[in-house]
Amino acid sequence: MRAKLKSIFTLSSLLKYALVLLALLAALAPVYWLITISLKSEVDQFAVPPRWLSFNPTLVHYKDAFVARSFGQYLITSAIVAVLSTVCALVLGTFAAYALARFRLPRKLDTRLALWILSTRMFPPIVTAIPLFLMMRDVRLLNTKASLVIVYTAFNLPFVVWMMRGFFMEVPREMEEAAMVDGDSRLGALRRVVLPLVAPGLAATAVFCLIISWNEFLFALVLTQTDAAMTLPVGIAGRVTQYEIKWGVMSAAGVVAMMPILVFAMAVQRYLVRGLSLGAVKG
Amino acid sequence: MWRLRRQIFSSRDERALPYLLVAPTVAVLVALSIYPLIYSIRVSFQTGVGQRAAWSLGNFARLASDRFFLDALGHTLVYALVALTFEFLLGLGLAVLLNEKLRGRNFFRALLLVPMMLPPVVVGVVWRLMLNPNFGAINGTLKGAGVNTSQLTWTASPKLALASVIMVDIWQWTPFMFLVLLAGLQAIPQEPYEAAVIDGSSRWQTFRHITLPLLKPAILIALLLRTMDLLRVFDQIFILTEGGPGFATETISLYIYRTAFRFSDFGYAAAMSFVLLILTNIISLLYIRLLQRQESA
Repeated sequence: MRAKLKSIFTLSSLLKYALVLLALLAALAPVYWLITISLKSEVDQFAVPPRWLSFNPTLVHYKDAFVARSFGQYLITSAIVAVLSTVCALVLGTFAAYALARFRLPRKLDTRLALWILSTRMFPPIVTAIPLFLMMRDVRLLNTKASLVIVYTAFNLPFVVWMMRGFFMEVPREMEEAAMVDGDSRLGALRRVVLPLVAPGLAATAVFCLIISWNEFLFALVLTQTDAAMTLPVGIAGRVTQYEIKWGVMSAAGVVAMMPILVFAMAVQRYLVRGLSLGAVKG
Repeated sequence: MWRLRRQIFSSRDERALPYLLVAPTVAVLVALSIYPLIYSIRVSFQTGVGQRAAWSLGNFARLASDRFFLDALGHTLVYALVALTFEFLLGLGLAVLLNEKLRGRNFFRALLLVPMMLPPVVVGVVWRLMLNPNFGAINGTLKGAGVNTSQLTWTASPKLALASVIMVDIWQWTPFMFLVLLAGLQAIPQEPYEAAVIDGSSRWQTFRHITLPLLKPAILIALLLRTMDLLRVFDQIFILTEGGPGFATETISLYIYRTAFRFSDFGYAAAMSFVLLILTNIISLLYIRLLQRQESA
């Protein structure tokens, strides 16, 4: 015990803790500030010097944003679009990933296809945003949730394929070969033997897709401009760029937009490195 | 149809199966990534609208003499270079710090990652609140400490605006560098370090000659992914400044957006988006070349 205490209180370890605390302060103070603004009456919001701790919390801005204004509707749209596009991308992408992980196609077609699928993810979004806007306008899908579900499915697909391919490759071939000897078909073995084994990876991939769709801004901005179809980020952006900004409403909407993401992110901690680097760095 | 199903679900002949499994994904990506790209190439080689559209190189010729485009290109490169440098150095420092045996390390790591997970739009809102010259937390704190803040208008000042949006990027994305580099550090085996201790190397020598070379693949991947994202930056700047004041923070993506969706000049916007695409491709190819050399060495 004493040795432990000693190691905490040496000069160099004190310095380390001080640096870590400084970094934590820099990372979290702005987020904390957003939360306090959403809970402050206007008098407290504009106080100088700023009131970090002493203010009377109120939920009036949340009521204003989600009951009196349309943010409740944006929230529902965001949720619908995120869930539907995630399901579509997972279903399509998992099959493709399984094929690319397990079958050796002639002329290295399997590796080439995997790389090609990944490369479609590398286009800067503004490059495809322009033609997708024109295409959606031609088929009269502008300002619909469907347009966003379609675009996000395509956007998440390469991610799903690449992540799931990695997870499938970690499952030994013998597992499904044993099941197939017992009379299962290939897809039967996939469903009964392999999918349960990669379930944690599948769940993590789903959470990443939800986060990506929920956070996405540029496509949503380009494709949806009406209250009925816009997502939470577009709703927030529309209000921020007006001249007179209701800061309480803004920050309340911001807090609600970030909370599910923080919960989800904590849930996939273990897979964060792999997810964010598309498997390039194994974490 | 029934025969096909039977073949897929029960047949031992698996030659067709992988193609059937991959086909839907390939179809979706061709329809929503490749076709749009071709569509966009076509639009970029056309000037005029609708029936009067004519094939020409006009859109590309315009680029060279467009001051807004050249400015936006400059802003993008400065933004990418400065943000990348700071994010890398700070991220590496944090990764080395948290790679040591500290109590509560995993807890600290989780908290440090918060900025990176936030929706970019929320990051924009957070920093509009922080940097507001009148009631923002930063100027409020400085005023409380007796500093004259009348010149410190951050995103509203033509001089400070670009630096301000870069600072926000550093705040949001240093955690990414930190995360990837920490994973890289933790994957380094212990033996080289034990050898270094026996040799009596100093800490700096150990870091310079053992840690950095072994960390190089992780460094290159982190830099590659960040560079690609930095060159296309749009969301936070759109919320923070919309490219202003004037055009002081207008990056290429913002200028393309303005051209396409404010001026409806889709041909010119598409032409510019190609320049952006080619620029990102060249830079990422350079990184990948470096990575491959690393792997074969």
